[in-house]
Amino acid sequence: MRWFGAAVAIAANTWRDAIRSKVLYVLLFFALLLIATSATLATLSYVERERILQDVSLAAIRFFGAAIAIFVGVGLVHREVDRRTIFTILSKPVDRSAFIAGKYLGLVATLWALLAVMSLCFVLASLAAGAPLGMAHAIALGLIAVELAVVVAFATLFSSFSTPFLAGCFSLGIYLLGHLTRNLHAIGKTSISPVVREFTLIVKRSLPDLEAFNRTIEAVHGLPISGAEVGWSVAMGLAWTFGFLLAAVMAFERRDFR
Amino acid sequence: MERDTIVRVSHLVKDFRPGFGLRRKRVLHGIDLEVRRGEIFGFVGPNGAGKTTTLKILMGLIRATEGEARILGHDVRETAFREHIGFAPESPYFYDFLTGAETLEFYARLCAVPRARRKQRVREVLAQVGLAAAADARLRTYSKGMLQRIGIAQAIVHDPSVVFLDEPMSGLDPVGRKEIRDLVAQLNADGKTIFMNTHILSDVETICDRVAIIVEGRIAYQGELEGALPVGERRFDATFSALSPEFADEAEARFGAELSGRGERITLRVIEKHVSELLQCALAHGARIEEVVPVRLGLEALFLEAVAGKIQGDAR
Repeated sequence: MRWFGAAVAIAANTWRDAIRSKVLYVLLFFALLLIATSATLATLSYVERERILQDVSLAAIRFFGAAIAIFVGVGLVHREVDRRTIFTILSKPVDRSAFIAGKYLGLVATLWALLAVMSLCFVLASLAAGAPLGMAHAIALGLIAVELAVVVAFATLFSSFSTPFLAGCFSLGIYLLGHLTRNLHAIGKTSISPVVREFTLIVKRSLPDLEAFNRTIEAVHGLPISGAEVGWSVAMGLAWTFGFLLAAVMAFERRDFR
Repeated sequence: MERDTIVRVSHLVKDFRPGFGLRRKRVLHGIDLEVRRGEIFGFVGPNGAGKTTTLKILMGLIRATEGEARILGHDVRETAFREHIGFAPESPYFYDFLTGAETLEFYARLCAVPRARRKQRVREVLAQVGLAAAADARLRTYSKGMLQRIGIAQAIVHDPSVVFLDEPMSGLDPVGRKEIRDLVAQLNADGKTIFMNTHILSDVETICDRVAIIVEGRIAYQGELEGALPVGERRFDATFSALSPEFADEAEARFGAELSGRGERITLRVIEKHVSELLQCALAHGARIEEVVPVRLGLEALFLEAVAGKIQGDAR
């Protein structure tokens, strides 16, 4: 009970801290601007205007959501150490694991609130353009929420033991590779070299498959999404999140705060 | 652990790795400390001596390389017992977007102070540290002295029985220092044991019951201020009137006396074993004894002797 109380208090404080970040509002502004602009872009086309609008909007939501997650996430723990606010927190009856969990939950809550704002704009833009909205759109947005939770988890891991710059580089690398693992593996499978085949398989298995959270095509084209696929994506997201956070706690437990 | 021992540190060693290499730098060389219930314990030493490292090990912020540290009988690596201790770091940093009351409420939540009691406790503590009027001001508007006080307030918001203070008077003006000193004395009067890291010796001398002096990662002295030197080496000031210059010269040569004073009153400082002989001789030479007082070894003298390596060991 004490563990949860401390984690919730830290999460609430992280939320208050995060919503003051100027970077967050700048990125949110550009995301909303891109969604609004997509409506204009769609008018330039004679065909599939609604699809262009939704395609660009969902891409904007995914890109800016991840950018905010990485920008804010990489400084999440480091800032507390750098500002020395960690001294007064960890000297209280607060487990280091509760601290990591609280910081993580606070930022995820912030990102989900931003995602809600961007989703609302997406819905309004779609309605204004007369574009269809259905369950597939809700699933696509829900899986973006899961992807953001995974991105914040690995940003938190890197933030727990390195500087924001290095954590940013690592996080960006994982994010990009995470979206390429399927393609890399597909290319690797066609290779005649067993080394390349094995290497791409190892890369695929050792990184989260972030494309599993991308259901933009299905949403935009009204294609069916099976419940099993969604369930698998969510389960995989939860497993990777847990794994990254566990590693973050293990790294954080070993640290000295000089 | 004895019931009255609140903090016990045994053979504490800490090594740091200055870079990425394998080379290690030892900053604590097996120190032993004991803090007793209800006392104000001053932990003093020059910069870089290992005071803050020791305190951070006690607070669980740094892991010891070897040795053991226990507070209230608990290993300092445990977490749950920390609801009984408070810690105010040096030049504390807080979330400056929070007000004083919000800051204390945050720390009270971390310490699981019940919701029903939290607001009232925050008000009480703010009043106790003299910040009731600034409760709703954001911390970014606080002065250094106010931040120091909110630092102490967060350390006591959960009503701990032991309070650890790292340089609580650092960077404060004389008025601010007195306010913090009075606050520390008040906390002690309320029954809290205080462990205070500081290098302001006059403050230690004023309020501490016992001290430990740490020099280069080793405890050079630990105990009461009195009795820091062996009894045979204690010095006395004997003040005389009508002292002849001849006798003054003789006392200097025979007893190694140090002369001071002007006019009628002359003071001779001698070590304890020469006192009675000096007084007999002075009376035989017609001098009048005005007073004989032991020289109280001030903390500064004790500190300087410890730093110079003239005092070694433990006088508990």
